[in-house]
Amino acid sequence: MDTLVGITGKDFVITAFDSKAVASITLMKTGEDKSRELNSHALMLFSGEPGDGVHFSEYIERNIKLYGIRHGIELSPKAVASFARRELADSLRSRKPYAVNLLIAGYDVKTDKPSLYWIDHLASSVDVPFAAHGYGGYYCLSVLDRYHRQDITEEEGIKLMQKCIQEIRSRMIMSMPDFIAKIVNKDGIRLVQL
Amino acid sequence: MAGSYDRALTVFSPDGHLFQVDYAVEAVRKGSCVVGVRGSDVVVLGVEKKSVMKLQDERTVKKICMLDDHVCLAFAGLSADARVLVNKARIECQSHRLTVEDAVSVEYITRYIAGVQQKYTQSGGVRPFGISTLIMGFDSDKVPKLYQTDPSGVYSAWKANAIGRSSKTVREFLEKNYKEDMTRAESIKLAIKSLLEVVQTGAKNIEIAIMGHGGVTERLELAEIEKVVAEIEAENEKEKEKSKPSTSQQ
Amino acid sequence: MSRRYDARTTIFSPEGRLYQVEYAMEAISHASTALGILAKDGLVIAAEKKVASKLLDETKGGEKIYIINDNMICGVAGITSDANILINYVQTAAQQYLYTYNEDMPCEQLVQRLCDLKQGYTQYGGLRPFGVSFIYGGWDEHYGFQLYHSDPSGNYSGWKATCIGANTASAQGILRQEYKEDGVTLQEAKNLAIKVLIEFATLELVNGKVVRRMFNQTEIETLLKENNLLTKTEEAK
Repeated sequence: MDTLVGITGKDFVITAFDSKAVASITLMKTGEDKSRELNSHALMLFSGEPGDGVHFSEYIERNIKLYGIRHGIELSPKAVASFARRELADSLRSRKPYAVNLLIAGYDVKTDKPSLYWIDHLASSVDVPFAAHGYGGYYCLSVLDRYHRQDITEEEGIKLMQKCIQEIRSRMIMSMPDFIAKIVNKDGIRLVQL
Repeated sequence: MAGSYDRALTVFSPDGHLFQVDYAVEAVRKGSCVVGVRGSDVVVLGVEKKSVMKLQDERTVKKICMLDDHVCLAFAGLSADARVLVNKARIECQSHRLTVEDAVSVEYITRYIAGVQQKYTQSGGVRPFGISTLIMGFDSDKVPKLYQTDPSGVYSAWKANAIGRSSKTVREFLEKNYKEDMTRAESIKLAIKSLLEVVQTGAKNIEIAIMGHGGVTERLELAEIEKVVAEIEAENEKEKEKSKPSTSQQ
Repeated sequence: MSRRYDARTTIFSPEGRLYQVEYAMEAISHASTALGILAKDGLVIAAEKKVASKLLDETKGGEKIYIINDNMICGVAGITSDANILINYVQTAAQQYLYTYNEDMPCEQLVQRLCDLKQGYTQYGGLRPFGVSFIYGGWDEHYGFQLYHSDPSGNYSGWKATCIGANTASAQGILRQEYKEDGVTLQEAKNLAIKVLIEFATLELVNGKVVRRMFNQTEIETLLKENNLLTKTEEAK
């Protein structure tokens, strides 16, 4: 049921997720953070089995952090995504696989390029200009097909994200009130008001 | 004389010594000098830096390592041993965050490091780590912490301390000159001053790391250290000037 | 006195020294030389070649210089069989990293991995330390071209130019003298290295890609000729 959306632009990636915590058909609360900051320039969004998402993303978060402290250099978004994909793929082939979908948004400070990785619960990973997980994706991908350009600015990015969420809200059968959005750019990761 | 007691590591000698541990302490004594000083809201680590050779790359010589965002360690002794021990500690820091969501306390990680060092004095077929460490950091209580561990696995908390070469002289110096509630500048000065007791070559062979409120670590640039050294030297001159006429009067 | 602490590796002497490690280093100071020179636009690893017999088939390649990763080469001095084990270990580690992160392993980490293994052999029971020193040369996006040296104790450090094996003192002297303060070019580095040694490999960036080159016999001879270093007798051959 969770919806994750990510859009890359000229020099940033904007991501958004619905902040609902749900048990069965009951809404438990809103304001749930379905993202983890892996390092200064990599953000992971997760959906799927609720416990799995938190457990898996925190495990990845701590490993990426350990890498940074150990080696004094940060992993690039590409390396972060490869690592996360590998961990998920290995878990799939273990006795207790994780069931999580991921979006990894990052900004590579070495090449000055934003990137977005779409990873599903079967651990296939794709480098994409924009992506979504969950039912919300059915509505916003077409909007993105129509309006997305590679060279949009942050402002345009925020507008585009609002458009996507508008579409989700007006078409989806469930109420989708609260989205939280975060932007990754060369300065790091920050919350944005939609 | 010592017979075979110094070979089998897990064995006491008749007079109650663990020789390998004593010898490891010897290795620490050969290492470059490290001092730690605790101020009112700051901790300072200072190390004696061996001068690098002309063709050597300075970046790769590291004596002060971060264990986590808020904990920092400096060591005296065998650097290869230190690298391995630091690695274990760094893993523990993140693993602790993963299991209980909180960062390690400085005492916890000190106890962990000392525990690993202890294990290597009692397990079969291994030699102890040839290093002592000084660990500085801040916990959530915002109080500066300074701890020491040694090859036997003992750990202790300090207001100021020194390990490595000539540590005894430096510790005595610290005992004489330590004041409660020092400011940041005073703490840095005391650390440098005490290091100058053993480092004859001055600022270029001193490395300083400071941790202030919120556990943010910064390292002093060479120019800043030089400034403090010059200050200290000027003071020493004054002291001499002052004492000279008085002695001549007598 | 020292006898007692010779028998096993993992033991401190009363002065806090590790004799086995020191002896391993001693062994290396008798081994044939290898050197590395860092240039602005690349680097050279060179090694002294000792041909034991004319019958030795050299198609297998040299014994002193190895490729350990796409972006890294290394030269060795010491016990060749020990080196083989370590080279294999480090090659596997590099591929393991590539497998996990889909990126080449940064040079310093690869050096560190090998050194952690070496360190282990000076601390865990019943084993002797590895009797090899290495010179590693590589390129990565973090620090560009890099040159490292590691010894049997598991210590390592970065260098602009250094050498291992026999006659290090004099070779290092030459390097210190000839190495310019603001760095040298790859060609200058090659010319400098050829003065001392004759097994050869370079690593440079061509169009942003790391290019490794192992020199064969004829290439080395051309290089020698360029530097007028071939003796009369060799030319006659």
